[in-house]
Amino acid sequence: MRSSVLVRHKWEPYLWLLPSVLLMTIFVVFPIGIVFKLSFSEISKAGMVGGFVGFDNFVEAVSAPVFGTVMMNTLVWVVSVVGLSTLFGFIIAMTLNQKFHGRKIARSIVVFPWATSLVIQASVWNYIIKYEYGNLNNVLLNLGIIQDAINWRASYQIEFAWECFVGIFVTIPFVTFCVLSGLQSIDGAYYEAATVDGATFWQKLRKITIPLVRPSLTVSTVLNVIYVFNSFPIIYTITKGAPANKTDTLITYLYMLAFYDQKKGPATALSVIGFLILCAVAGLYMAISLRKEDRS
Amino acid sequence: MKKVVTLILALAMLLSCISISLAEDEITLDVIICQYGPKTNDWFTGTGMNGTSFVKKFEEANPGIKLNLEVVSWNDVYTVVSTRISNNNAPDILNLDSFADYANEGLLLPVSDYCPEELLNDFFPSFIEQSVIDGTVWAVPDLASARALYYNVDLLTEAGVEVPTTWAELEDACQALLDYYGGEVYPWGIDMTTDEGQAAFAYYAWGNGGGFVDDEGNWTVNSAENVEAIEFAIGLYNKGYTNPNPATQTRYDLQDMFGAGKLAMVIAPNSLPTYITDKGYTGVNYAVADIPHNEGKTSSSVGVMDRIMAFRDDSAPDQAARNEAIGKFLTFFYDPENYVGWVSMEDFLPAVNSAVEALVAANPSFEAWLKVLDGCKFYPTAKAEWIDVKQGAAAVEQSALTGGDVKTLLDELQNKITK
Amino acid sequence: MSKKKNLAVLILCFCCMAVVLATFALPLVTFKTDIYVKRSANTFVGDEKYLEAKAEVGALAAEYEGSYIEEAVTERVNSKGVTTSMVTFTVKETITRSGFDFMKASFGYEPGMTGIGATGSAHAWLFLLLICLALLLWGSCGTLATPRGELSAKTDKLYLLAGVTALFAAIAAHAFVRAIIYTFSRQVDLLVGGHIQNEALLADLNTFLYHGKAGDSLLDLLKGLTVKINWSITPAFIAMLVLLCGITYLRYGKLKDTLVRGALYLFVIIVCIFILYPFYVMLITAFRSNAETTDMYFLNMLPTQWVWSNLKDICDRGVLQYLLNSVLLATGATAIAMVCGIPAAYAMARMRFKGRNLFLGFVIMSQMFSPVVLLVGISQLMNTLHLNDSIIGLMLINAAFNQAFAIWLLRGTFVSISPEMEQAACIDGCSTVGALWNILLPMAAPGIVTTLIFVFINSWNEYTISTVLISTPSNKPITVGITQFSSFNMIEWQYLFASALLATIPVIILFMCIEKHLAEGLTSGGVKG
Repeated sequence: MRSSVLVRHKWEPYLWLLPSVLLMTIFVVFPIGIVFKLSFSEISKAGMVGGFVGFDNFVEAVSAPVFGTVMMNTLVWVVSVVGLSTLFGFIIAMTLNQKFHGRKIARSIVVFPWATSLVIQASVWNYIIKYEYGNLNNVLLNLGIIQDAINWRASYQIEFAWECFVGIFVTIPFVTFCVLSGLQSIDGAYYEAATVDGATFWQKLRKITIPLVRPSLTVSTVLNVIYVFNSFPIIYTITKGAPANKTDTLITYLYMLAFYDQKKGPATALSVIGFLILCAVAGLYMAISLRKEDRS
Repeated sequence: MKKVVTLILALAMLLSCISISLAEDEITLDVIICQYGPKTNDWFTGTGMNGTSFVKKFEEANPGIKLNLEVVSWNDVYTVVSTRISNNNAPDILNLDSFADYANEGLLLPVSDYCPEELLNDFFPSFIEQSVIDGTVWAVPDLASARALYYNVDLLTEAGVEVPTTWAELEDACQALLDYYGGEVYPWGIDMTTDEGQAAFAYYAWGNGGGFVDDEGNWTVNSAENVEAIEFAIGLYNKGYTNPNPATQTRYDLQDMFGAGKLAMVIAPNSLPTYITDKGYTGVNYAVADIPHNEGKTSSSVGVMDRIMAFRDDSAPDQAARNEAIGKFLTFFYDPENYVGWVSMEDFLPAVNSAVEALVAANPSFEAWLKVLDGCKFYPTAKAEWIDVKQGAAAVEQSALTGGDVKTLLDELQNKITK
Repeated sequence: MSKKKNLAVLILCFCCMAVVLATFALPLVTFKTDIYVKRSANTFVGDEKYLEAKAEVGALAAEYEGSYIEEAVTERVNSKGVTTSMVTFTVKETITRSGFDFMKASFGYEPGMTGIGATGSAHAWLFLLLICLALLLWGSCGTLATPRGELSAKTDKLYLLAGVTALFAAIAAHAFVRAIIYTFSRQVDLLVGGHIQNEALLADLNTFLYHGKAGDSLLDLLKGLTVKINWSITPAFIAMLVLLCGITYLRYGKLKDTLVRGALYLFVIIVCIFILYPFYVMLITAFRSNAETTDMYFLNMLPTQWVWSNLKDICDRGVLQYLLNSVLLATGATAIAMVCGIPAAYAMARMRFKGRNLFLGFVIMSQMFSPVVLLVGISQLMNTLHLNDSIIGLMLINAAFNQAFAIWLLRGTFVSISPEMEQAACIDGCSTVGALWNILLPMAAPGIVTTLIFVFINSWNEYTISTVLISTPSNKPITVGITQFSSFNMIEWQYLFASALLATIPVIILFMCIEKHLAEGLTSGGVKG
């Protein structure tokens, strides 16, 4: 590896890693360990931790009737939010990579959703889509675009779609900037050569752009899958999982289970299940895309 | 690298400093209070109590006792409390609605251990009864609210509708309102959100002679009366008489609709008038009536009560001194000088006799509400399965709203809690 | 030949203008006004109450020429088996008005009033058309003989401008229709319902619809007013379409370019509006009065009165303290994350050692648990460390949770910088730390700034852990502090959003300042990830 600097002692790299490892071990790994331990313990309604109960918590969690619904919702939530935000983020990044007047301003604006916390974004959208006094109806009515106020949350399916929408809204900035950075690093010479050869827009997109931004997309997608899977405030603020867990994802469901239904054992077991799913998915995705990269 | 070492050293020093500073000679009480109204936080810890705060005033009056008082929003309070209990770090004094789980698991101190006799006798006896498990009082009520039917006089009069007293009349009234206003006004308000589902259950079940428990205190969630009651409520929704999204439209939404004249009738707590005034709604002309009941049954108003409880702390060096400190806190809190101001600020109903006189003097409408409160039924919060029932009731209603069969759902709930 | 064609197109454009003006003189809008509606509840056809009501309605209808009475009966059997019936009498009249009538009327619109106005949009429509024609004329001066493909840059720009103006005119035309059928009737509904009081508007309506004769019965007259746009407006729209086509034709050589650029700008504008929308909501709601935050009649897009004192109120309720805590928390967390992350990233980028992949896996794994899930564990840990209820504890947690991100970004940055300079420095006897500090870090500045920002924002926005860990009010960060605005009794939207705004503005300013770095930093960081 040409890029390495001189290492005087064998142990030196580990010394460099030490602060980071220490920090993460104490403040992340240790709590994770506690969660693992709790998932095999009996936890009382009030929250007192009891003895070892084996897989009881897991069995109880998985055998709950709503478990299937919740897992399905989680799948829809993660796939739609990560997928669509990647798609839109990609399109927006492609656009922002063009030269036009006001590009600087547009680029700053695109990251704005990131500047507000999820709790606030969720509250704002919750307010916007209220039927009786929401701002969306207000604006549309006053601009003369609609004639009567529309019930934007007519059913729980629609409410869930709104939640996905808000998820996409807050995820787009991250994807846009990951892709934009990838696009900026592409040498313009590739495109010039392709243009000389008479390549169309789509050919250039397929043969040059996508392969070259794939590394940044891979990383942003893995991180996004993790963040979106673990995303909690949006659903909790807008519907709290109502009606009857039909809009819950795993993370909001286990939160409600732990702190509203006082079933902390199964809730902890669910969080371990979630962790294992994430590990599997993220690992698989990394492996596949890394192999693809190697091949191409 | 040196920096790293320095940092670690600095951190270690910091940690030790913090642990040293924890050494103490005075008693510190950790108190968690729920956020009832916009001014709660300011009253307890800011400047909302005539320029001073409850904490400051208490500490001045009781040297040697320090209050570590935290006002937590209702949204987070269960999370905060249960996390702290899991870590053996329970607060000393807690203000919450439920107490049974804590009492059953032996986490609470019996009230008689710390509460002065005089104060204990001051509470309304019917309220104290609600906090008894196996003959021991585990918590004291801090306040209560009573719910009744509010109706918009102008809307009803214009449509030529009488105030309904029975369910049949209610349906007629709703239909008449719907015909007259053509959907501009929702005739009836229903709140079946996750936070208030148990209230909706009580309004209808109690109005049909049903309820959560029978006379012996056994769970009867799936009784025929309850099934009929919930089906009636869901029927109101299905016929288009109610607000469109009962599963996610909170009490705030309903109260706002009522204040704006978009909702003709709603069951709401006694604080609704203050809400309407504070919010700045003008021009809504409303009155109060009994909650409608089924033909041949009686109406019963719904009372809701929150509590203050004290947790055991076996590690405290001087249990007697700690108990005394908790007692002082309660005495100070329920002192009419403080308590009256607090209850009227939050717009709830009092839980002690000594506050009644001053409250009625300040606001004559209190008297009527106290009468309502007298005949109120309360949730069976002292039963261990109450949390399951509370969450279950909301889930049943929400499932029924999306087309589930009420009988099946209630049967499932009953099986779950009695198994 | 081109000359002739150009001229023909120009003439066509002028014709279009004439058509629009002509259409304006036609009766564009039909008002069906219910002069009087009488709902008689508990009434059966033929009974005493019915006759009484009918007589009353008949007397009223006689006062108006060309009016007629409609009668509707609603019957229903109630739960007791009793049949109830309601009779509705409606006295109706039809009125038509031309576009010029609308232009003359003002309808009492004033700043802060709800909705777009028919008068305003009609004016805008015609005015924009005139500008468009003027631009076309100017552009055509002396260039009529030039073939289309060879127009001078100036002419081309003028034509482009004319095209854009024509487009806006078309939007204004559309707005005019909307204003009549939606805004106008809504405005009237609100007046009739008593939700807004506006004497000037009432007077204007009286003049416009009833030539000032309505008098006291005006409100009753307005009840049940329906508005319909007549087909006679169609020529105007066809003319606008032809006009747009004509202008496009004049610039034919640049058609594709125009469309592509237009679409680009349109897309960017739509995306920006879309993203700014929730911030607009935050801004306007933050300065509304308490009652207006839940205004169920949608009276105003902007606050009727800007309640600046909301800002003062939230400051009185401790928001400044919370903001300060958040700044402290985010700064501290960022500092710790960088101090730990830079060496690790450096080792990952520059050194070869066993267990690199293990460390990578470790870092990614550390991200897989949401803080929500780890609440119990973290809280227990903080108890043991006596860091409960302290901002320092929060700093450490946030730093730890952002390690993965920081290391990923920083490593990418370092890898993208050639190591030769450092190697040279090392050979010269500079220590590794020295090489990092003096050589690499300055070169990696953009990437470091990006990382700083990311970690800062993530810590700034953290909510759940702070909720559980912090109990002293004066230690709460802003995210927890604002929960006090949604209490059991009331959600105070205006305070909630005002605080949110205060919490957002610093971050947005930060974004604006480092916009350039953001992209650069990620370029070096992201790609080589």
